[in-house]
Amino acid sequence: MISNDDSAALLERVRQAAAADTPLNIVAGNSKHMLGHRQDVAQRAEALSMLSHSGIISYEPTELVVSVRTGTTMKELNQVLDEAGQMLPFEPPVLPASTLGGVLACGLSGPRRPFAGSARDYVLGTRVINGQGQDLSFGGEVMKNVAGYDVSRLQIGAYGTLGVLLDVSMKVLPRPEAELTLVHEAVPDDTQSFAAQLRRPLPLSGALLIDDRRYLRLSGSEAAVSAAARILGGEQLSAADAGIWQAVRDHEHAFFSNAASGMQLWRVSVADHAPALPVSGTWLHDWAGAQRWLRSAAPAAEIYKAAQAVGGHATRYGPGPVGEPAFQPLEGVMRRLQTRVRDSFDAQRLFNRGRFHPELDSLAASQATTEA
Amino acid sequence: MSAEPADQSAARVTPEYHPEPHGTSTADAGNVSLRTDRLARRKRFAKELASLVPEGAVLASEEQLRPYESDGLTAMKATPLLVALPDTIEQVQAIMRWASANAVPVVARGAGTGLSGGALPHEDGLLLGLAKFNRILELNRELGYARVQPGVRNLAISDAARPHGLYYAPDPSSQIACTIGGNIAENSGGVHCLKYGLTVHNVLSVTVVTIDGDLLTLGGDGHDSAGYDLLAVMTGSEGMLAVVVEVTVKLLPVPPEAKLVMAAFDSVEAAGDAVGRVIAAGIIPAGLELMDNPAIIAAEAFAKCGYPTDAAALLLCELDGTAEEVVSQIERVSAVFRESSVTRLHIAASEAERLLLWKGRKSAFPAVGRLAPDYYCIDGTIPRRQLSHVLQRMDELSKEYGLPIANVFHAGDGNLHPLIMFDAGKPGELHRTEQLGSQILQLCVEVGGTVTGEHGVGVEKINEMCVQFDADTLTQFHSLKAAFDPEGLLNPGKAVPTLQRCAEFGAMHIHHGELPFPELERF
Ligand SMILES: Cc1cc2nc3c(=O)[nH]c(=O)nc-3n(C[C@H](O)[C@H](O)[C@H](O)COP(=O)(O)OP(=O)(O)OC[C@H]3O[C@@H](n4cnc5c(N)ncnc54)[C@H](O)[C@@H]3O)c2cc1C
Repeated sequence: MISNDDSAALLERVRQAAAADTPLNIVAGNSKHMLGHRQDVAQRAEALSMLSHSGIISYEPTELVVSVRTGTTMKELNQVLDEAGQMLPFEPPVLPASTLGGVLACGLSGPRRPFAGSARDYVLGTRVINGQGQDLSFGGEVMKNVAGYDVSRLQIGAYGTLGVLLDVSMKVLPRPEAELTLVHEAVPDDTQSFAAQLRRPLPLSGALLIDDRRYLRLSGSEAAVSAAARILGGEQLSAADAGIWQAVRDHEHAFFSNAASGMQLWRVSVADHAPALPVSGTWLHDWAGAQRWLRSAAPAAEIYKAAQAVGGHATRYGPGPVGEPAFQPLEGVMRRLQTRVRDSFDAQRLFNRGRFHPELDSLAASQATTEA
Repeated sequence: MSAEPADQSAARVTPEYHPEPHGTSTADAGNVSLRTDRLARRKRFAKELASLVPEGAVLASEEQLRPYESDGLTAMKATPLLVALPDTIEQVQAIMRWASANAVPVVARGAGTGLSGGALPHEDGLLLGLAKFNRILELNRELGYARVQPGVRNLAISDAARPHGLYYAPDPSSQIACTIGGNIAENSGGVHCLKYGLTVHNVLSVTVVTIDGDLLTLGGDGHDSAGYDLLAVMTGSEGMLAVVVEVTVKLLPVPPEAKLVMAAFDSVEAAGDAVGRVIAAGIIPAGLELMDNPAIIAAEAFAKCGYPTDAAALLLCELDGTAEEVVSQIERVSAVFRESSVTRLHIAASEAERLLLWKGRKSAFPAVGRLAPDYYCIDGTIPRRQLSHVLQRMDELSKEYGLPIANVFHAGDGNLHPLIMFDAGKPGELHRTEQLGSQILQLCVEVGGTVTGEHGVGVEKINEMCVQFDADTLTQFHSLKAAFDPEGLLNPGKAVPTLQRCAEFGAMHIHHGELPFPELERF
């Protein structure tokens, strides 16, 4: 395990960059380079590598808290938690070089999300460098804390545009005693069929719909899992076949690699019961239908419109045609407010310029007051 | 849904004093003209507001304003310039536009059960009462959510959901009175949040009105939304960023079975140790609460629930889930308690007994209130491993100040609620109580904890924020606030101290050898 506190050097780099007005692209394992826009906009940008800021700062299994430097790889972190019989309950994806910082900056959660909560739900505290090169600490290592605004959770999913995440404290939980997966036949794309299971007191920890197969995962005590399995019935997957959860989580499943040319991969986030979207393509439904993966050649605008029409939003994974945004565009009052939030952390637009919602990069937008 | 709950809350009968040095430094003549000026403004504002809300929804006479002069922290009182009680979102928008145009401070108020003065009125401002927003708009059984107005009481949501086999998980002890709007503002917790999370984990989306009168929905129908997670930052923001006008909460299936294990110990340390062991064994109980001997005696006298009054400490450990799960967890927890030298182990024999045992815990505050003329409730969180150190230090401090302390707390979360017993009738005793409270909070920060777990900073803990956060972090909080509320009209003076205020507080504490904000000029 490499443990190294590089915060002093990182702070210095950010201060110099701020003084010289040099944009910084925050990178760690670069395993999520396909997420967000390619940052060719900022030609002058320099890379700020987080890899040397790594290691577990403290871990007390009985406190259910782990504090970690964000350049730590997911693999290493998971291994340490695993040895103590614990886990990150939001089941983040693990790509070969993934770091905790990358997972949190992109706000990624796995199949357990609808049942156990998201990445941000498990963040207790953060240490962050803002755009002025200040070393700030929010939250802490305790479960309940309402001192000051919850900036720690605000950082999750902000793609580094609200600061450089240095250290993070997270809540962890015991790994379930038992786990099993049941398969049922289903009507393709019929996410409504999950609803009945979700509102029953069953120890669910995953709900997938792939083609005409519905997969339900149960986690908990031995007794609870087998009792629920009796209620739900269906075919029980072998341990090897239950690898499907990990395969979908990490995009190793065939659905994600069958890339026909001109097809893009989209993540559509909607209510689990939302109707099927009128966009042509192939679908894989995770999170009981609340996270829908779509392979489609449809133009971005059409997908954004369809997602918005059912109260959701879409994100493109991977590069797209020039000029098509990778994130559901923010508009009106929401765009203005979010721009001001970005102003408050990074007025200079030092961090990850062009990577996230590009509409939040423009300083002018914050001055505009006439938008509806 | 009135201001009644304040009765059962902290520091009941206490002399009035104003948190802001309002006009105190001005000469008497100045004060008189100030007062006349204030009355004139009240009159003008009342007239203007009357055109924005239905008849009777603007309160402006001293008599009408009195019920609003404090929240659950009754030690602090202030009379608002006026009160508005809108009942539609459009009215709230109109009021906010008006306030913004006239630079009038706005303080939102739910039920006023807050314990940190979050809803304490601003003397030159408008108190925006949301009590009329008390309707449950939609309860969707199939999809497991409820859409409610912000003035709906916490318990009313669960009561409405229960016939459908569902409930809203966060259950503050004040749930019979406090509103969901207030819960969001404080990120409130309850005895079951160890397993089911705090407000932030159970709210799906909120609709808010900004100080400019704009309407925005934060969060969405899915599990996340585009851009920044403003729902996260809105939760626990103490009415400083926007006014919540609609809320969608997650409803969970009522667990088929819930059992309560009561375990007595002959020292608080042994009980604290048992808590750590339960967690280490991989068990997350639905609730895990600890009471020390003074709290046990008080609660037993109040609720007659069958607590062993000779125990030094008592743990209430609730296990819920499917019948099979509960049976296996009870076995495991009982084994852990036996290893931790439990002196008495009892499993509630019936649902009635389970509820009775909880009643003792949930009425612990008012119960302690009967042991002394007044009590003051503190709300710090610490890493659990620091429990015995902190309890021991608190005991020393209690003796030093000559003020007894009873402890009831959310042990699983390390969230302490020391109740300081005092007599406000004795000169100086409230002041000493506040000093002791401040010492306890600073102790929490010292051991790596926080000055507030769930009651909020409000005006009460504003000084202690200077101990917990440095100047740069406080400045970042202020600029985030300005992103929402550039003129600082929403709940001014609360939650985050100005650097000047910290400098003043720092000056008070020079004798401890600590000098926060040395770069600032002293007064
Ligand atoms: C006996 C007793 C027991 C308690 N037990 C607990 C407990 O177990 N756990 C716990 O967490 N708390 C507890 N509390 C504290 C209190 O009940 C909670 O903080 C509660 O959430 C406050 O709700 P309220 O409606 O009374 O809000 P208020 O006191 O009216 O307001 C609290 C804050 O919320 C803001 N606010 C209110 N409504 C809105 C809105 N619609 N939009 C924006 N801001 C708003 C106010 O400006 C203020 O800052 C207890 C209090 C008492 C008196």
